[in-house]
Amino acid sequence: MDLDLARQAQAGDESAFAEIVRRYSPRVFSVASRFFRQRPLVEEAAQEVFLKAYTQLGSFEGRGSLEGWLTRIATNTCLNMVRGAKRRPEFTVSDLTDDEQSWLEHQSAGDGGEPASVENTVVATDLADRLLSVLSPEDQQALLMIDGEQASIKEVAEATGWSESKVKVRAFRARRKVREAMEKLLSYKRAGSER
Amino acid sequence: MKDKHITEILDRASIGTLSESELNEIRAHALECMSCRDAFEAARLSAVVIKNRVEATFEPSPFFQTRVMAALREQQAVESVPAMLRLWRSAKVLVSTMAVTTAALAVVSFTQPSQTTPVIDQTASAYSAYSVIMEQDADDQMSYEQVLSTIYEDDDDAR
Repeated sequence: MDLDLARQAQAGDESAFAEIVRRYSPRVFSVASRFFRQRPLVEEAAQEVFLKAYTQLGSFEGRGSLEGWLTRIATNTCLNMVRGAKRRPEFTVSDLTDDEQSWLEHQSAGDGGEPASVENTVVATDLADRLLSVLSPEDQQALLMIDGEQASIKEVAEATGWSESKVKVRAFRARRKVREAMEKLLSYKRAGSER
Repeated sequence: MKDKHITEILDRASIGTLSESELNEIRAHALECMSCRDAFEAARLSAVVIKNRVEATFEPSPFFQTRVMAALREQQAVESVPAMLRLWRSAKVLVSTMAVTTAALAVVSFTQPSQTTPVIDQTASAYSAYSVIMEQDADDQMSYEQVLSTIYEDDDDAR
């Protein structure tokens, strides 16, 4: 089915390619959302993915799913887009907003069980971005896919084209760095509240 | 259990995927070891923020498909034109403007008469100093004797 659709699109059938875009754009958006937080950037990346996919349709042999093939193109396209961007310097507790500090305090105090409000989700997402900024884009992806989306090592390897051992190393390293950054934040926060 | 054992367990897998026995092991150790308790707390909070980050996704807008198809057609239109022609199209306005300007300058240069400033031939002027002094007709000049006689005639008349 996927292969037929790809072949029709490759032969110049616009409606077939439009169907591919319609069917798989949620998946491509989901991948791009891991890399970017602004809708225009996500849309730009997703469009780039489909344009690239169109030119590479001949390389899709139908061995895997079209969704998996597009996920790989999306991951690599987005990685290329973020690689050029400068990484922010590691932040300290003084950079935390009041909302972020209060979110951390609530979570540390064990109030994490309360229903997540939109505000709390935004604060937690901002905090995640700050923590992830200490990682390379590749390590970020490994961590977000495995710990965030519960993807297996094999799935990440397929989506990125990395070996399974490389994925394991990246995820281990990323997890440790993020944990250490969070530990540093918590220790600063504690020191600040004791003063 | 040594400190590094706990952190190794924490870094090896997401907290959400740890087995109950591993979690119990961690909790038991964390009660005795302050640094491991901090590490466990940090790992737990990291897992929460990462979960939140992944859930923040965008859905494609209803116009996204149209946008991609339009971009695809535009790309195909660009690719169907040979490279030299594309180059010509982009440079056409500039080249045309330069050609028109050059042609206009050429026309102006060849058709307009020369407008050089006329040189006054001072030697030809009837009132030049040279002509007044040197080229006056001999007939108009008075001789020295005539001049003297004219002067003295005037003196005699005066007496």
